Amino acid sequence: MTATAHDTTAPLLEFAGVSKWYGPVIAVNDVTVRLEPGITGLVGPNGAGKSTLIRLLTGQLRPSLGEVRVRGRRAWSAAAKSHIGYCADTDAFYEEMSGQAFVRTVARWHGFTGRELAARTAAALEQVGMADRASRPLASYSKGMRQRIKLAQALVHAPELLVLDEPLNGVDPLGREELVHVFTGLAARGTAVLLSSHILDEMDWLADRVLFLYRGRIIAAGSLPEIRQTLADHPLNIRISVDRPRELAARLLMVETVQAVQLAPGGDLLIQVHRPQECYRALAELICAGGFQVERLSATDVSAEAIFDYLMQTARRL
Amino acid sequence: MWRMLRSRQTWINALLLVLVLLAATAWSQHHARTAAHFVREVFLPIYVSFLLPIFSLCYASHAVAGERQEQTLGYLLATPLTRPVIYLAKWSAALALVLVWNLGGAAALGRIAGPAGWTCFVRFWPAVLWSSVAYGCLFHLFSVLFRRATVVSLVYALFLETFLGNVPGVIKRVAISYYTQCLVIAGGQDLGLGPAAGRDPALFVPLAGDTAQLVLWCVSGALFAAGMWVFCRREY
Repeated sequence: MTATAHDTTAPLLEFAGVSKWYGPVIAVNDVTVRLEPGITGLVGPNGAGKSTLIRLLTGQLRPSLGEVRVRGRRAWSAAAKSHIGYCADTDAFYEEMSGQAFVRTVARWHGFTGRELAARTAAALEQVGMADRASRPLASYSKGMRQRIKLAQALVHAPELLVLDEPLNGVDPLGREELVHVFTGLAARGTAVLLSSHILDEMDWLADRVLFLYRGRIIAAGSLPEIRQTLADHPLNIRISVDRPRELAARLLMVETVQAVQLAPGGDLLIQVHRPQECYRALAELICAGGFQVERLSATDVSAEAIFDYLMQTARRL
Repeated sequence: MWRMLRSRQTWINALLLVLVLLAATAWSQHHARTAAHFVREVFLPIYVSFLLPIFSLCYASHAVAGERQEQTLGYLLATPLTRPVIYLAKWSAALALVLVWNLGGAAALGRIAGPAGWTCFVRFWPAVLWSSVAYGCLFHLFSVLFRRATVVSLVYALFLETFLGNVPGVIKRVAISYYTQCLVIAGGQDLGLGPAAGRDPALFVPLAGDTAQLVLWCVSGALFAAGMWVFCRREY
């Protein structure tokens, strides 16, 4: 039983015109965003304001302007914090404790006692795959095991919003897969997961939507395909493996949305297109009409990394 | 509280106490020692001026600042515990240890020093109690204000308390040890107590015992409230 009843009518997390500055330095600049269930990635270069944004929403900082609200309560307030599970990027623990004692301590701070305390602790440790190793002292854990314990303490009160700052750092590939399974499972059950990571590859397959942050501002928000479509300055690159590339190339040049066509050394066609949706329709018609045999068709720059690069180029020009 | 008790500070305190107890044992070998001698030669210069603030700062200054330095404060602040509750819990745990060390240390010192020492402990433990509370509140405030609170507290204890507490004039009234000495002197007038050895009584000008106690209570309350106010507003 948590100390605060959940007010499910108010938005889970809302930044309304939030700015935060330290003296003359603006860390977060007029951010307005709402978080939705599912996995949201938070991406930005060093100094973009990711940590400040996370510390604002976990109630460690107060905004200089605007408001951060969690289920209608100010994020700074104690009541808001019962909705949030926070897994920080720092590798800090009460080292003299065991993993189990640490998670139990955090559960007690969340107001759990007696059997529920034990049950919550056990469930959180089970969820991160540490149930059988939790009685060892934290100081003896590997980096990956410490990450899991950190995640367990964030999950122990079954929060509606899970904030993860670089959660996969130091976790081996198998453990990474297991933790990602935990994140996606939580998201599927309705938990909103905010995941800050500098490994952009993770965002491609993990995040339902991504917030790109640059110099304290959110410069793009949405799913990766949605954001990619807004980048009109950067035509979409498509690679096609087809049986008659030269013939298809000639026909593609007649399509209005195709900006350039190039024959790659391996025989694949590389095309640059504007308005991808229109182009995909025209391409499908051409392929059907010409009876082309397509082996592979893929967009080469819809990854989070490619979009991030494009956004950075655009932002630097502003 | 158990984390604090198992910390490095406990070992430092234990070492200092053992050294002082050894010195007190040596002092007690002299047959002509009286309670007044004990107060002037051991209790005021060694215990009140040195050990009392050191024992107090070891736990009180580490309570919040230690968590900041070890980067574990974030776990506490991310829970639904309100800031006043966190502050109160930290202060209570630190103060409990401060009182155990300060009163326990004074009792051990009194016992080791023989009848003269024990007489002093029985008579002056309230002075130790109230100055411990005042030091606890002061160093806990430092703990909330400074990341390196132990260093700041050490500088304060070794320089300001020792120096300002003994300078002539009214400036010494900013030092907690001055009020502790006033309480001891007021409580031991029938023992022939006055300012510590080598100090000109005309320059020390002690306050009445009731006034000194009232000042310590007020200072403790004000420092506690200031610490709470800062902790509730500060971003960590």
